[in-house]
Amino acid sequence: MTWRIILQLALSGLSIGSIYALVGLALVLPFKASGIVNFAQGEIVTFGAYLALILSGLGLPYLAVVPLVLIGAAALGMVIERLLIRPIVNQPEFTLVMVTFAIGFIIKAAIRLHWQDNTFSVEAPFVGPPLALGALRLNPAYLVFILSTVAVVAALFVFFGYSRFGKAMRATALDPIAAELMGIRIGSVFSAAWALSTMLGAFVGLLLGPVIGINPEIGHLILKGLIAAVIGGFSSLGGAVAGGLLLGLLETYAGAFFGATFKNLVPFGVLILLLLLRPQGLAGASSARRA
Amino acid sequence: MALLEITALSVRFGGVAAVTEVSLVVAAGEIHGLIGPNGAGKTSVINAVTGMVAPLSGSVRFADREIAGIAPHIISSFGLGRTFQHVELFGDRSVFDNVLTGFYRHQSYGLLAAALRLPKATRSERRTREQARMLLDAFELAAFANTPAGLLPFGIQKRVDIARALAAEPRLLLLDEPVSGMSEAEAESAVTTMRKLAREHGITLVVVEHNMRVLMNLAERVTVLNQGRLLASGTPAEMQANTAVVEAYLGDAA
Amino acid sequence: MRTRVLLILLGLALLAGLPLVATSYYLYLAELAMINVIIAVGLNLLSGNCGQISLCNASFMGIGAYCSALCTTRLGLPTLISLPASVILAALLGAALGYPARRLSGLYLALITLGFLELVGFVLEEFPDYTGGIRGLKVPRPEIFGFSLQSNRLLYFFVFVLTVGAIAVGYNIQRSRFGRAFDAVRQSPFAAQALGIPVARVKMIAFSLNAAFAGFAGGLLAGVVGFIDPPEFGILTSIQHITFIVVGGLGSIAGSVAGAMVLTALPEVLRGVQEYGELVYGFILLGTLLFLPRGLVGLVARLEALRSAKPPAKEPAYGAP
Repeated sequence: MTWRIILQLALSGLSIGSIYALVGLALVLPFKASGIVNFAQGEIVTFGAYLALILSGLGLPYLAVVPLVLIGAAALGMVIERLLIRPIVNQPEFTLVMVTFAIGFIIKAAIRLHWQDNTFSVEAPFVGPPLALGALRLNPAYLVFILSTVAVVAALFVFFGYSRFGKAMRATALDPIAAELMGIRIGSVFSAAWALSTMLGAFVGLLLGPVIGINPEIGHLILKGLIAAVIGGFSSLGGAVAGGLLLGLLETYAGAFFGATFKNLVPFGVLILLLLLRPQGLAGASSARRA
Repeated sequence: MALLEITALSVRFGGVAAVTEVSLVVAAGEIHGLIGPNGAGKTSVINAVTGMVAPLSGSVRFADREIAGIAPHIISSFGLGRTFQHVELFGDRSVFDNVLTGFYRHQSYGLLAAALRLPKATRSERRTREQARMLLDAFELAAFANTPAGLLPFGIQKRVDIARALAAEPRLLLLDEPVSGMSEAEAESAVTTMRKLAREHGITLVVVEHNMRVLMNLAERVTVLNQGRLLASGTPAEMQANTAVVEAYLGDAA
Repeated sequence: MRTRVLLILLGLALLAGLPLVATSYYLYLAELAMINVIIAVGLNLLSGNCGQISLCNASFMGIGAYCSALCTTRLGLPTLISLPASVILAALLGAALGYPARRLSGLYLALITLGFLELVGFVLEEFPDYTGGIRGLKVPRPEIFGFSLQSNRLLYFFVFVLTVGAIAVGYNIQRSRFGRAFDAVRQSPFAAQALGIPVARVKMIAFSLNAAFAGFAGGLLAGVVGFIDPPEFGILTSIQHITFIVVGGLGSIAGSVAGAMVLTALPEVLRGVQEYGELVYGFILLGTLLFLPRGLVGLVARLEALRSAKPPAKEPAYGAP
């Protein structure tokens, strides 16, 4: 076991973990804002990838495609929130969960209707031969994953910490009634949270599409994002990021040392253990109320 | 005989001390009032006694048995029942079904008997439904038997809550603000019913109330809480004469 | 309510008479519909009555299917043993899931059932020596006392009788103290506990019961279809099952029957626009959730109320059959 291999694996783990972290973030955002988990998030990722496919097909270079996809995804998020989620916010949890599942179902069905189950490819500037980093080899795409995640986290940090709207969102997450009384338009906050979350999801699609190929099954990724979010207690953005990175590392090392079968078991093993022992995640606080 | 003995009970919620070192004793067959201004910790005491919340410290003894920290449904099986400030009825189901559910503890047939409609199950159901009907009649709820509980006016819901709690045949019933939301007439009727329960059926009552007038008429002994602590304890007359108690209410007193 | 009961009886009568007029294809379709009815009845007890969300219902169906298939093909056991074995195995695993799940609710409950779903899928695919893996398993027709049900009509009656039995069992349980306990746990766990109902244990029972129904249906499915493979028991199928009870009516036996039958028949009706099938399915689910929260049963009740010119203020009791 040389240090080179361990570091190499760490890089792989962190890069795939960055993807998980982004999906985890995309899941925790609307949860913090309006208490809803968007089970369609996987399909939002798929949506982002296919939208990139369409725009690339029109001849646009990838760097131009990116902002257009983000805008499209933001619009989708706001429409979903306004038309489908807000009317049913007070319904039982079961209904909310199922509505988001239904939305995902519809998105996936629509995609399959047009493109069937084929895998498509797109050209992207960050896909290419491995770069040499000292003794390590790094897939440039992986580098982009990691850097993008760092950029996103930094941007969110600045946004929530220092911008007016970001602070308004934090206030709304803490206490919507008080926030409203202070003059914050919580409707806009909810829309923004969803828009941000769908943008993140589509962004993941933009990153992954060129690397793993564009097909309807990309959305399966949501499970990893959910686990990342659970590790972070589903209430902490930083926790979701840490969770995603941790999951990526665990998976990669497990795969390297114990084989592919074991690698696939890691996510569920982690999830089930976590839910059994510490449902509030590694970052959440324990509750005082029983029953 | 002391049926319920609470000693130095303390309850915390997050960082807030809801109840601090409260002690009280309820004798069997008594109607005991628990009063105090808003936020005094009355509901927290009930929650701790019924096991909904684990107490921080202190002891709760029911019929000579320590029950602090035991699971709520087990505490209930010892004969401790309660009603809720905000009713907590099974809103989707009819009044009849709500009261019928109260008898759960006294039915013993198993899943197989239920699935196959064995005689043991049908006999138990027939008997229990008859008892439920009688209970509805006793509380003048027969007219609403098939109405979904969630659609009823609050005052009637409170009656259903009491009837349902009684179905479980408790020895001691904790009533959390039983007449709030009721009209004068309804409150009078409820008070009469409660007295009847205590006198004729020997059920010990602990009544949490905000309405001093109702309580002073009903209770034999009263415990006053303020800001989570025990303020005073004694007969209603003694409490009305107690300046500290009156001050705590500061004009709330009827 | 009487209308609903009459409709069910009518439906059952029609089903009973089907073999007299239908081709084997339609018999097959009806068998699938009836198996879905069994699934829906079980799931409604768990999710509709007891309010526990479960994304792994398809897994229990798969467990039942594979158990029955393996008992028949590998162990040579007769159907009358392998089918109950499926039910028991599924029920045990349902209880095993219900145990950790009993303290979870909402999001975390959904997640642990999702984890269970993936775990079962993993086991089914990664141990091909036992389960046949991705290639799947061929399963012979059910047989009674050595007599194989090769005749389509006999198979149909077999499934029909078992389905009616399952509906009856579901109805009996719902009307019993267990059904009341389920509803109590859903609507107010605090009140339930105050009445002596052991909430955690009741949730476990609900999970186990649901698994038993699903396992039973799975065991039947294996013999009826003749072939099973892991993708059949994934998240898509679980969502389909949930759609049955949402569209039919949560907490209602009649709803389970109606939802399962209508949605099984739907892809047939949409034959011409087959490809749009999935999309339509998704919209039906979404539309029902948004606009028809009480499903078909609620719709019928509203029509009843209009017909009798009563103001629709009295919504029907949720758990009514």
